[in-house]
Amino acid sequence: MQWEQNIKKFFVFLLMLTVIGCAKKYEVKPAEEPKASEAKPSEDKKERLKEVSEEKILQKPAEIQREITEEELSGKGQKAKESAAQQAKEGFVFKDIHFDFDKYDIKEDARPALDSAAAWLKNNKGVKIIIEGHCDERGTNEYNLALGEKRANAARDYLTTSGIASEKIKTISYGEEKPLCAEQTEDCFQRNRRANFAAGK
Amino acid sequence: MKRQLKVKSLKLKIFILLCSPFTVHRLLFTVVLLLTLNSLLLTLSYGKIYIDITSPALRKLPVSLTFSGSKEAEVIAGIVKNDLDFTGIFYPLEPGVKGAEITVDINLNVSDNLLTANVSVVDLIENREILRKKYEAGESIIRTLSHSISNNIYKVITGQDGVFRTRIAYLTDTSGKKELHLMDFDGSSDQKIVVKGLTFSHNWSPNGEYLAYSSERDTEWNIYIINLKNYNETVLFSSKGLNLVGGFSPDDTIAFSSSKDNSPEIYVMNADGSGSKKLTKSLGIDVSPVFSPDGSKIAFVSDRGGSPQIYIMNADGSSVRRLTFEGNYNTSPVWSPDGKEIAHVGRKNMNNQIFVIKLSTLEISQLTEKGNNESPSFSPDGMFIAFDSDRDGTKGVWIMRAGGTGERKLTLNGVKAMSPKWSPYLK
Repeated sequence: MQWEQNIKKFFVFLLMLTVIGCAKKYEVKPAEEPKASEAKPSEDKKERLKEVSEEKILQKPAEIQREITEEELSGKGQKAKESAAQQAKEGFVFKDIHFDFDKYDIKEDARPALDSAAAWLKNNKGVKIIIEGHCDERGTNEYNLALGEKRANAARDYLTTSGIASEKIKTISYGEEKPLCAEQTEDCFQRNRRANFAAGK
Repeated sequence: MKRQLKVKSLKLKIFILLCSPFTVHRLLFTVVLLLTLNSLLLTLSYGKIYIDITSPALRKLPVSLTFSGSKEAEVIAGIVKNDLDFTGIFYPLEPGVKGAEITVDINLNVSDNLLTANVSVVDLIENREILRKKYEAGESIIRTLSHSISNNIYKVITGQDGVFRTRIAYLTDTSGKKELHLMDFDGSSDQKIVVKGLTFSHNWSPNGEYLAYSSERDTEWNIYIINLKNYNETVLFSSKGLNLVGGFSPDDTIAFSSSKDNSPEIYVMNADGSGSKKLTKSLGIDVSPVFSPDGSKIAFVSDRGGSPQIYIMNADGSSVRRLTFEGNYNTSPVWSPDGKEIAHVGRKNMNNQIFVIKLSTLEISQLTEKGNNESPSFSPDGMFIAFDSDRDGTKGVWIMRAGGTGERKLTLNGVKAMSPKWSPYLK
């Protein structure tokens, strides 16, 4: 039993890790149509998962603890485990979407990422997500919190318009408090002006 | 002012770290000091105002400070000198230098950890004593005692209340966390107040006994209030979305912004969190509301015109008008205590600077130039502005005179500190 639990935790871990990385693109694999021929030996997969897990644990211990709940380790966890395994084959990516300076409208180049997210969420009806809105450091802190909120809301509204139930999406703004990079360059500012996806509860 | 806070008790633990192990003594002796201040005032004050601090052609008044008695007298004299010097209206002379028009003499006795100070202020031009006062205070509140002496000297010479006993609430940033701190107006006696969550947009209650703030905890932005006497924290307002507290009115109405109906809008509520009422309705951002000192108007930030600008409306939400037109980014409004000016942050050459607008003429002055300067907050007498600046590389809390001169950094160089909010006069 203990052994089974551990394996289960592993898979849940992987899913959570992949879904929460707020800085990085993460791979979430779609649930539909796994191709048996592409499946790797389970031992290999386990080893690979382990590495990923440990690496990320070093980076973000707090978030990992937060994301794994009792609930997910039980019934829901089983489901998550399955989809994590299946998704491995298709390599679907939840990408950050980016915004123009002082703006919160969805740009043309953000649509493919949102469309993919919407498609994936439609096929994974049990999954809840959090959309986090962020800003670059040049605004004032309080206004940036409001701006980040509008960015997260804009991403949410795009998904709900695409048919995703609004109850499945929570939004939160972090303003300029959680930057991906700290350089004073336009490239870095652009990376920080984003909305990203995290696992919901 | 009566405040009844009926609030759900929070199960969350608040961490309060007090700066000194003598806190209990400090509180006790504060009481002692207050009593003595009330009972031991002996003397003597003239109606004459030595310095008209509202005069544009201000001449600094040369003052000499002498001290005698116990060795701590020198500490007190040093703090008083520093206080008077900072105002920019006194010219403290070195010992032995002639030319003083006012002398301050501090005599101190210490027994059983009790400080007894006798202070005498003499007008040398007319050769008469204009203040004589005796103070008693516990040794651990020597700074409070010194600032009280400064307040009395300031009052007898300018006719105005001094800000030497006020405090500044501000935030520190330690590895991505934002903690709420309190310090004296001169940067001493730092104290952590709230370390839980990501804390923001703190504002003082008019009596200085409470701080309201917003904090992000477990992916919720809610509004909290803390009683600074017993450090009890309670939730004032919670809903989904972003809830950011703004300023208090003189009768304790609290302005705030909430995106509970999707987009951030301006609301007001009672001091206990009840009776919230929405005042704005726009598709864009409405945030950072602050009451005018008389409570009749609210200044706030809105991007309804396409870029963030400062607007003013009546306290009931009527008669909205735009105040700022210069540049495409104006945020963080605060009223001067006399209600005649609004200081704010404006973007100029891609840096944030502090500006002040005279409401009668709409004349704008720029107060800062180096680096990024944000979060202006007036002292309760309107003579000074606290703000944050990254001009020396790390964001820190600074103060300057309201005209933009005499800048001085309050927080330590290694500390990332920001968002100062100057307290009202404290008792």
